[in-house]
Amino acid sequence: MIDWDLSIKTAVGGFGLVFGILILLMITVELTRVITEKFFGGKK
Amino acid sequence: MLFGLMETGFPLFYWGNALMIVIALILIYLAIAKDMEPLLLVPIGFGMILVNLPLGGMMDYEMRLKAPQAGTVMEISTQEGKGFDKGSVICKLDSGEVVAPVFGRVGELIVEKGQHVEKGQVVASIFTMEQTDQAVYPSRPVGLLSRIFQYGVMWQILPPLMFLCLGALTDFGPMLANPKTLLLGAAAQFGVYLAFFMALFVGFTLPEAASIGIIGGAEGPTTIYVSSVLAPHIIGATAVACYSYMALVPIIIPPVIRLLTTKKERGIFMKPSLRKVSKVEKIVFPLITAIIVILIVPTSAALMGCFMVGNLFKECGVTERLRKTAQTTFVDLITIFLTLAIGASMPAQNFLQPKTLLILVLGVISFASAAGAGVLLAKFMNLFLKVKINPMIGGAGVSAVPMSARVVQVMGQKENPKNILLMHAMGPNVAGAIGAAIAGGVFIGILG
Repeated sequence: MIDWDLSIKTAVGGFGLVFGILILLMITVELTRVITEKFFGGKK
Repeated sequence: MLFGLMETGFPLFYWGNALMIVIALILIYLAIAKDMEPLLLVPIGFGMILVNLPLGGMMDYEMRLKAPQAGTVMEISTQEGKGFDKGSVICKLDSGEVVAPVFGRVGELIVEKGQHVEKGQVVASIFTMEQTDQAVYPSRPVGLLSRIFQYGVMWQILPPLMFLCLGALTDFGPMLANPKTLLLGAAAQFGVYLAFFMALFVGFTLPEAASIGIIGGAEGPTTIYVSSVLAPHIIGATAVACYSYMALVPIIIPPVIRLLTTKKERGIFMKPSLRKVSKVEKIVFPLITAIIVILIVPTSAALMGCFMVGNLFKECGVTERLRKTAQTTFVDLITIFLTLAIGASMPAQNFLQPKTLLILVLGVISFASAAGAGVLLAKFMNLFLKVKINPMIGGAGVSAVPMSARVVQVMGQKENPKNILLMHAMGPNVAGAIGAAIAGGVFIGILG
C-alpha cells in the first residue's frame, strides 16, 4: 500500500527544495560577483 | 563434468544468460562502432557478460540458510552444486520447510536425512548473485566483483568519488557568468518527480520510485548512489537506463525541444561571449555551495561535498597534482571499478523481469520531461526578460554533461548558423548536475 501523503510531500517538498536551494545559489553567485567587484576590483 | 574432473558452466547456463550476453554485446557494439559512451558501456557490457557465465563466481554472495524451527530432516530436495529459483525448498523438516529467499546454487549441504536440527542451526550454505536486505538475510561477498560492488557501491564509496572527479572536470564559469541558468537546471528536475509519481502509479514502492525518478537527473553516480541506498535490487536497471539514455541524449532531446518551441524561438540569437568570471568567484562558489546545500540537505553531503571539493581542486590553483590526478588517473580507476560492478549487478535472474522494462520506459519519460521542463521555464522567463534567451538552452538542464549542451549547440547552429549556444547551454547543464545531487539527497533524507 503506497503512502500517498508521503509521496506527495516527497515530490512537492523535494522539487520545492531543489528550486529554493538553486535560487539561493543564484542569489549567492550574484552577491559574490558584486562583493568581488567591490573589494577585489573584479580581479580576474 | 569435464573429463569427470571439474564442473563446467553449461548445466546452469539458460536462455536468460544468453539473452543478457546478447544485450551486453549490443552495448559493447554501440560503444565501439557508434562511439556511444564507450568508457562506460564497454566495462558495463563486459561486467554483464562475466556475471552471466555460470560458476564464474565473480558476483557471488555466500549465504547460510538456517532452520526456522527445531525438527528432524525428512527430505533434502536438492544437491550440492545444483541451481535453484527464489522460493525453492532446500530441505523439508518434520516441523516445516527450509526455503531459499533468493535464487542461486547450493554450495554445501550441512545436514543429512534423519538428522535432528535446532532452531537457527545452519542447514546449507548457498551462493547467490541477488542483493539481499542484510538485516534480514545476511550474506557476504566472495567474488571479485561482488566484493567491489559491496564495498564500493553498497558502502557508497565509489559514486561520491566519481562525483569528486566530475567536480574536477566541471567548469562552473558559464553558470556563474549567467546565474539565471541555475533556474533552468532546477526546472529540469521536474522530470525526476514526474517519473517518481509515474513509477508509484505502476506499482513500484516509494524507495524504488525515487531510484527510478532520479534517472531523470541524468547523472550516473547520483542514480547509482540513490539506488544503492534506497533500492539496491534495481540498481543494475536504473544505472543502465541512466547511462544508456545519457548516450541517447542526441536522439531523446531534439524532438522534445522541437515540440515545445517554434522555429523563431529556436533561432533566437544569444551573444557568443559571456561575462568573464573572476578566479575569486570560481573559488568561492564550491565553498559556499557545499556549506549552503549540506546545511539544508545534510543527506546530500557525500555527493555535494565530493563534487565541490573536486571543483575546488580545479579552481584554487594550488592543488595542481590533485586536480590532474582527479581529472585523469583517478577518474579512470573509479570508472573501471564502478562500471564493472554495475555491469555485474545484472545477472539474468535479476534483470529479466517485467519491472526492468518499466524502469527503462520510465527512465526515458524522465529524461524527456526534464528537458521539456527546462525549455518551458526558459520560454516563461522570456516573458519577463529584456534580452531574450534561446529556450533551447533550457533543454540542457537535463544534465548529461556535456552531451545535452552539445546537442543544443548543434540544433542552434542549424536554426541560425551565427548562433553559438554551447557556453550558454553549459550553464543549465552543470546546474542540472547540482540540482540532481540535491534531489537525490532529498530522496535519501525522506525515504532512506
